[in-house]
Amino acid sequence: MNNLVFGKYIPIDSFMHRLDPRGKLIGLFLMIAAVFVTRSWWVFLGIAVLLAIALLLAKIGIKMIVQSFKPMIVMMIFLFVINSLTIRTGEVLFNIGTYPIYEDAIFNTLFVICRLLLMISITTLLTATTNPLDLTLGIEWILKPLELIRFPTHEVAMMVSIALRFIPTIIEETIRIMNAQKSRGVDFENGRISEKIAAILSLIVPLFSVAFERAYELADAMEARGYVPGAKRTRYRVLKFRFTDFMFIFICALTLALSIASRFVL
Amino acid sequence: MSLIEVKNVSYAYNENKKVIDDVSFNIEQGTYVTIIGHNGSGKSTMAKLIVGLLPVKEGEITVDGITVNEENIGKIRTKMGIVFQNPDNQFIGSTVKDDIAFGLENKQVESKDMEAIVEEYAEKVGLTSFLEYEPQNLSGGQKQRVAIAGILAMRPDIIIFDEATSMLDPKGKKEIKKLMYDLSQDKDITIISITHDIEEVLQSDDCIVLNKGRLFMHEKPDKVFANAEKLREIDLDVPFIEKVREAFRKNKIKLKADDLEGMVKELCRSGSKH
Repeated sequence: MNNLVFGKYIPIDSFMHRLDPRGKLIGLFLMIAAVFVTRSWWVFLGIAVLLAIALLLAKIGIKMIVQSFKPMIVMMIFLFVINSLTIRTGEVLFNIGTYPIYEDAIFNTLFVICRLLLMISITTLLTATTNPLDLTLGIEWILKPLELIRFPTHEVAMMVSIALRFIPTIIEETIRIMNAQKSRGVDFENGRISEKIAAILSLIVPLFSVAFERAYELADAMEARGYVPGAKRTRYRVLKFRFTDFMFIFICALTLALSIASRFVL
Repeated sequence: MSLIEVKNVSYAYNENKKVIDDVSFNIEQGTYVTIIGHNGSGKSTMAKLIVGLLPVKEGEITVDGITVNEENIGKIRTKMGIVFQNPDNQFIGSTVKDDIAFGLENKQVESKDMEAIVEEYAEKVGLTSFLEYEPQNLSGGQKQRVAIAGILAMRPDIIIFDEATSMLDPKGKKEIKKLMYDLSQDKDITIISITHDIEEVLQSDDCIVLNKGRLFMHEKPDKVFANAEKLREIDLDVPFIEKVREAFRKNKIKLKADDLEGMVKELCRSGSKH
């Protein structure tokens, strides 16, 4: 569980790490929009090149990005099977047994997979180069306009930051409870479905109980340190937009513009 | 006027059973007070009542003359901080420096002033080189030191330690007890330590013993342990050194030294003469 790559922050110093989280978030949305808008392989290639440059600037190895694809493999296979069964246009490329596989099924699947891989890579780049707390501050800033309709942006940001802060603690707790239950003879790997459900319940019930206990204690600790939901607070971390942040957003916006244009030109 | 006045306070989580039953005591400014008692004796409930995490329904608690109630809770919280038992459950920031700054953000300290305050108190608890660390990469003792730095940064008059050493290994326990003792030398800070560690009582100025929600004793530590039999009646132990003194008294051995090391040396000297 500790080997999860997707969403993991890599605490190093790089050009990408130094960018303002708000700029990175805006850039992420623009790039994901560009990936979704286009129907051109050339735009995909352009985005992939930009991504490779960003990875170099972030000092993040391609290995980490490839590892982040792992959880998606099952989904990709599923996608291929569904597309092969449902898309029956274009020329027949080959047969699996007596079942014909059409050209469009293959190309559509590859296109969707490329889209997914680019989207995962962009998100991994963002989370790997942005401290969770900075990310939360960025989200809070982006959600700020919603305060006009009394949306509790600060509270939501605080909840997200606490959730992120507690992920490693809860993973540790899960492993501890799993080991405790295994030592009592619970088998999480083998057995019938009903036995597996019982095993998972023996994990979930104590995990929830511990998580609630932690939540109450944390609430007491926060309250004792003067936290009042909704009350005005100052910030230890102050975010600042620099020229490089504007440049970063400009490049991402240009990519989106080209992506939109590609729908009409290519 | 005492800094903290607890007058006839009772508290029950459910109507049937009082966890705190008509307890009264005063705590003077600049003292180090330990509160001892068994699990369920009401120690932690008392701490939560003093800090305003639980509402005082019966009796009255005043802190620096201000009554602890919902209306005054903001004022009370600026005067005191509490360090809880489990270091993992009180870490709010994603790094040490963010956590120390949490209380300052709530106090609306200017952003530009925070860095210096964070560094000052990290240095005070010996964590200057750990400011960028994430909580899961710290030892239990270090995590508690972060919690203490976070409280100290808010410059409270009173710090309550709610079994702050009970989940730590011997090294962490020693670190925190030393830090508590060092803090107690600052006569502007009043320390209330709720503890199961009977040895810790020896380093305090005053000791409050709670039993089944009632005040059992409130004396100087030496007077509390002079009543060892009374403590044993409620199944509380006495520190090792008191046991040694008691054994000497029973065997009519009179020693001049008062500390353990001195006693051992004196015994060795008298043994070698024979």
